[in-house]
Amino acid sequence: MLVTLDSRDDRPLYLQIVDQVRRALLDGTLRAEDPLPSVRELAGELVVNPRTVSQAYRELEGEGVIYIRRGQGTFVAPNIHPDRRERRPLVRGVAERALIEARRNGLGVEELVTMIRELAAEDGGERSPSTTAVRSGEEGGAA
Amino acid sequence: MTHTNASASDYAVSTHGLCKRYGRDTALDQVGLRVPDGAVYVLVGVNGAGKSTLFKLLMNLERPDAGTAEVFGLDTGRAGSEVRAQVGYVPDRQDAPYRSMTSARLLRHAAAFYPKWDHAYADHLTHALGVPPQQRVGGLSKGETRRLQLVLALAHRPPLLLLDEPTDGLDPVVRRRALALLAEHLADAPTTVLMSTHHVHEVESLADHVGVLRDGRLVAQMTREELRRTVRSYQLEVPDGWAPGELHAVELRRSSAGRDVRCTLVGEEQQVTQRLTASGARVRQVSTLALEDAALAFLSEDAS
Repeated sequence: MLVTLDSRDDRPLYLQIVDQVRRALLDGTLRAEDPLPSVRELAGELVVNPRTVSQAYRELEGEGVIYIRRGQGTFVAPNIHPDRRERRPLVRGVAERALIEARRNGLGVEELVTMIRELAAEDGGERSPSTTAVRSGEEGGAA
Repeated sequence: MTHTNASASDYAVSTHGLCKRYGRDTALDQVGLRVPDGAVYVLVGVNGAGKSTLFKLLMNLERPDAGTAEVFGLDTGRAGSEVRAQVGYVPDRQDAPYRSMTSARLLRHAAAFYPKWDHAYADHLTHALGVPPQQRVGGLSKGETRRLQLVLALAHRPPLLLLDEPTDGLDPVVRRRALALLAEHLADAPTTVLMSTHHVHEVESLADHVGVLRDGRLVAQMTREELRRTVRSYQLEVPDGWAPGELHAVELRRSSAGRDVRCTLVGEEQQVTQRLTASGARVRQVSTLALEDAALAFLSEDAS
């Protein structure tokens, strides 16, 4: 799993890490019982405060997504069902950001939803370009 | 925490009405610094704002003209050596006395001073930062001196790091490596960091507290989250002849093109937006600012 942070992202860094772990579970980069990098490793790699990584891991642990095996490290939970479990918060995050952006531009919810449908129809129901670009070598997808 | 003599105070570093003058120049004016235990506190300010003076007063290398400073509850003036034993300090300038020693010799010399000196860790840092061991200290380049100072500051794993421009003189690759080592260092043991830097964007995701020094005064001091929440960029559509009116007091920066105005304002977003709306402006977009931009807003002259 490769975590990258976006400095232009308005959300707190720990939530960005949480979301990237969720995303990695959805696209299969992370699977049940896979080890996660240690707090120390990830803090060094991203040059972030270790507390930020700990906060992200605590959040994921609280949701039952990962667990900590004392002295051995952090692992993805054994009975993880990314589709059921991880899609919802991920969708929620994307929707929240779209909604904030819409409000700031003085747009209504219906306008936004209608436009999203229109855009999706223009795409001809294809997977969005960014998703296909990122997910090379996928096996069927999660839809 | 493992350090001794900690007072009931939650602050690793606190100063009270700290003043320092050099002749007629005021270097520090009534500074009340508060660095919570375990914080990574970044001090921002232009050259000559008083950052290095503040570090020197904390290290008892200079005496204040008024006020006091405490490190882990110890008065820095009365217990200077006890304070220094608990601090890893990267000074803004190179110390002269050890110029004839090699780096390796100076590291052994320092190890004898600190009971908690970690030899294996010192070796690891020396290699990771590329400190030339057999070079005489006096012959080191500015960047090599900085690397050696970082090893000296970190290798005894002190509970407090005072880092005055720790990446000054380092090339971008080594700067990033030094900050990654610092992040790992913080993960290994609870450590409080007070640092100044001109490369604020580099420590953006390490910092959890921010202080802004301007002309010797601490004009802002808050957590990173509070800074993110209360200093934001507002994009406005304003009617002809619109004047900021009473917002002027909190307006920090303004640029305009036609009816569009962008300004950085201090305050809770909801309240600022209400005031803007009441003044006739329409708030088109509000965005958070990078640490550097938010901090620099306190350094710019008020819009006139």
